[in-house]
Amino acid sequence: MGRTSGQFRLKLNERQAALVLLTPFLAVYGVFLVYPFFKGFWISLHDWNLLAVAFNPDAKEFVGLRNYQRVMWGRDIEWGAFAQPFIQLFGLAVIGLAIFLRRVGRVSKVTAIAIGLAAALLFVLPGFHPGEGGRWYDRRFWPTVGNTLVFVGLTVPGVAITALILAAALNRETRAMGLLRTIFFVSQVLSVTVVTLIWQIMFSPRQGLIANITDLFGGSPIIWLTDERFAMAAIVITTVWWSLGIAMILFLAGLQDISRDLYEAAALDNASGVKAFWFITLPNLKRTITLVVVLQIILHFQVFGQSHLMTNGGPDDTTQVLVRYIYQSAFRDSELGRASAMAVFLFVIMGAFSVLQFVLGREEDA
Amino acid sequence: MNRSYAWLVTALAIPAFLWLVPTLWMVSLSFQPNDVLARTTSSTALGLVPLPFTLENYAALFAFGQTPWWFLNSIIVAGGMTLGVLVLSTTAGYALARLDFPFKSAITFACLIGLMVPEQAVFIPLYTMFADFGWHNSYHALMLPRMAVPIGVFLMMQFFKAIPGDIEEAARIDGVGWLQIFWFVMLPLARPAMMTLAILTFLYAWNDYLWPLVSAQQREYFTITLGLASIQSNFAQSEGLGRVMASGVIASLPVVLLFLIFQRYVVQAMTVGGTKG
Amino acid sequence: MKHVLITAAAAATIASGAMAQEVTLGRFFGACEDAGTDTKASVGEPCIIQSIINAASAEIDGVTVNTLPTDWGNYYDQIKAAYAGGTPPDVHVMHRHRIPEFAGLGALADLSDDLAAAGIDTSDWAPAALDAVSFNGGIYGVPMDFHANLWHVNMDLMAQAGLVENGQPVLPSSPEELLAHAQQVKEATGQDYLAADFAQFPIGVRLTLALMWQQDANIFDGDTATIDNDAARNAVTAITQLFDAGVANPQLNYADSQQAFLNGEAAILVNGTWVVDFYDAEAAKEEVALDNYYVADFPTLFDTGATWADSHMWAIPASLKANDAEGYAAALKVLAFINDHNIDWARTGHMAVRNSVLESDAYANLPHRDEYTGTAAIARDTPPSERYGAIQDVLNRELQAIWLTGKSVDMALADAEAEVQDLLDR
Repeated sequence: MGRTSGQFRLKLNERQAALVLLTPFLAVYGVFLVYPFFKGFWISLHDWNLLAVAFNPDAKEFVGLRNYQRVMWGRDIEWGAFAQPFIQLFGLAVIGLAIFLRRVGRVSKVTAIAIGLAAALLFVLPGFHPGEGGRWYDRRFWPTVGNTLVFVGLTVPGVAITALILAAALNRETRAMGLLRTIFFVSQVLSVTVVTLIWQIMFSPRQGLIANITDLFGGSPIIWLTDERFAMAAIVITTVWWSLGIAMILFLAGLQDISRDLYEAAALDNASGVKAFWFITLPNLKRTITLVVVLQIILHFQVFGQSHLMTNGGPDDTTQVLVRYIYQSAFRDSELGRASAMAVFLFVIMGAFSVLQFVLGREEDA
Repeated sequence: MNRSYAWLVTALAIPAFLWLVPTLWMVSLSFQPNDVLARTTSSTALGLVPLPFTLENYAALFAFGQTPWWFLNSIIVAGGMTLGVLVLSTTAGYALARLDFPFKSAITFACLIGLMVPEQAVFIPLYTMFADFGWHNSYHALMLPRMAVPIGVFLMMQFFKAIPGDIEEAARIDGVGWLQIFWFVMLPLARPAMMTLAILTFLYAWNDYLWPLVSAQQREYFTITLGLASIQSNFAQSEGLGRVMASGVIASLPVVLLFLIFQRYVVQAMTVGGTKG
Repeated sequence: MKHVLITAAAAATIASGAMAQEVTLGRFFGACEDAGTDTKASVGEPCIIQSIINAASAEIDGVTVNTLPTDWGNYYDQIKAAYAGGTPPDVHVMHRHRIPEFAGLGALADLSDDLAAAGIDTSDWAPAALDAVSFNGGIYGVPMDFHANLWHVNMDLMAQAGLVENGQPVLPSSPEELLAHAQQVKEATGQDYLAADFAQFPIGVRLTLALMWQQDANIFDGDTATIDNDAARNAVTAITQLFDAGVANPQLNYADSQQAFLNGEAAILVNGTWVVDFYDAEAAKEEVALDNYYVADFPTLFDTGATWADSHMWAIPASLKANDAEGYAAALKVLAFINDHNIDWARTGHMAVRNSVLESDAYANLPHRDEYTGTAAIARDTPPSERYGAIQDVLNRELQAIWLTGKSVDMALADAEAEVQDLLDR
């Protein structure tokens, strides 16, 4: 606020000062975040064509929750406990595990409930399927959500595990280690368009470095971005390369909080290296690991650029992700209502993870 | 330095080199002639050494290209956004952390609940809103939405909370006003936190893709990130691989330099933003 | 905050500038940043169009043209976003297939009464061209070309396989012959017979559509999707038999399939008219494996000749006509200039739209022009629809599912029909 410097003679009481200092942010916050948030919900209740409404504001039609129904539901949808046996049984198993871990006291009540709830969803949601003669109104929505989950499911462990190993190895204050850390971190600051630019060419079967190397050994190159078996892997590799840095730094910070004495004591018991990592580092890093995982989930659930620029969601929609579907529904198909309904869905999922993060953070603090 | 340490460094140097390869390759390709690249990208050492060498791609980029213009836009947008976020976050963060006023906890909660709203969930209503105002294709359209995100307020609030109260009290006893305390006492103390916030915001602004994609259609307001996306979506018809790669290098240079210079703050930023955000 | 606004305001003033009359122009075709103003010397779609635009900017008094970014992938998304945001470019290129959507919503200016005054003679347009830009009795654009799918031929590979007669390639006349030719090429040269972008842009869709039209079928009729039928199955299997026999690779995208053709790794490339001059120029180069380049009409494998075709045209937003008389006049001048340079645009390989150009010697003498004279007569497209883009996307996904992920033809066609029906019902 350049203005305040001119008003230094003015004496404000505490309330007035608070008002002056808070108003600018509250105004921007209210207008550009709170209002759009509610407006998004409002749009999702309408049949709202991007161009038609732009030319004639009355061209929208209130349709209640129909957009949600059209996006997420279908005709003759049934539920079965074994529609997707693997996923659903896995969900059941995790529920059991959560109960067991709680019983033996390995996890707190809140954590157990959180894991249990997530697993319950895993059991319930995949059970829905169109019955005889029925079908989803939008055949692409749930597969798109599924792809997003697969992307998150591959990227987050990929990032977390690699970052953890690197952080453990790099946790020394020397020049060489500092340099190595910089190298592993620097790709994080590149923009998504640079990253996809590099990797699109890296993966190209004709011009790509990977293909050039395969050629050298006489192999035939993989056509990464248009092969359904490799397209998702390609964007996961790209993403891990890109976003390892933050996770690594967070782990390094967490590692520095672990007391040296613990390691020295362990060394006396002949526990060092891998053993020390397993018995000392991991348990003491539990909080950081949770944090990294939740943050990465939130971050990668919103993936857009990699899919949009590298594979166009293909082949056969195998890399189509939620945010790209929202973008396409809004700006290619002009259907703002449907797109907004999907955006609300995205918000609910993200919100659930934010709450989870908050709860876990609180619990560890206490 | 003992032997196991030397082993560790050597063992890590290999993945580190592999990690660098994609970036090195981009830089190397940007220095090779386009007609050579059209035939092969592995002239020398798999293309990692820029031989045959040329500066033509960069020359062409600055002679005809729109890249310098996009570059300038990115600086304006990222700089403006950073400034805006700093102003809004320090003022609000200070008020929430140190001042007492009615409904304080309710207002604080209302501000921080916004952390839960992802950008992607509000870009459509934001788009229609800016369209109603006739604001698209402008610098403020590119800057404003991010200024409303409360992460900066949260960071600054945490920082101000950690400052001991006696400094403030001493000033109060001397009859110094609240705004003066904020300006002369608190802001200088907050410099490291502001630095951290500034770098985080700048990086975010420089790299943002989705919002500029829907808000800017005119060249005057293309950012470098957006411009680069427009180049790569049509490789087949583009000006040649070398030039595209040169644009990529130019787009990355400022953020990489910024990172290398202010590495300490970035690391701090990630740690603070991560553990508390 | 103040600083930000001042900076922004200052920059905005500099950017918009108080020029004579600036016409903003939106186009795709790809970027060509150093095109110059010589409309006779440039090569390739991006550079030819940009040289025409640059020339317009230099030669029309009191008008400067500002070309907007040329992002192919997001072009229609961005144009829509610009219209909805109230800032569409003053003139922009589009495909004829988008007219129902844009003109239907009132986005485009009806140019009918102003073309003559601007020096554009609509009676010189070929009837099909006039038809392409007409909608509900109005004229909503200035047509620039017809473009269609062609077969680009590597004559050396064809000759080695014994598929050249009297200096012309021998092309198949049935799906069985197609496979036989393909195997002949594979045996004689070891190379693939046919390459095309089956993995990225909807070139594979256009190929399939052509084969459906050749059986007098179409993907929808009025409000009813008609995809799950024998015509579609025949069309798809005519193509998949090549993949199954290993004489074509479905995984190549646009750039890779083009590169394969230029590298002499495929005897035929199915691609549009837009690359004829580019391939001609490439074939002349020493280092490019393709030497003997020939262009052929899309062959008839079934009953009736048909190939996918579309038109590029230039439109002006309705808002410009309504609110800015000077801007509208300037925009029309630019369209007139482009219309006058129809012959230069035809150098890309596209077919011209003006009778005077079509009948000229200059046009007939363009490289390879005499090799695909039959294309104009067999040009086809799907029925007009406001959801053209989404329908193409459905087809592209389901067809890719067949050749890239092994989805069964029956399932893919059934799914495509259901989804297209959904789109038609919306």
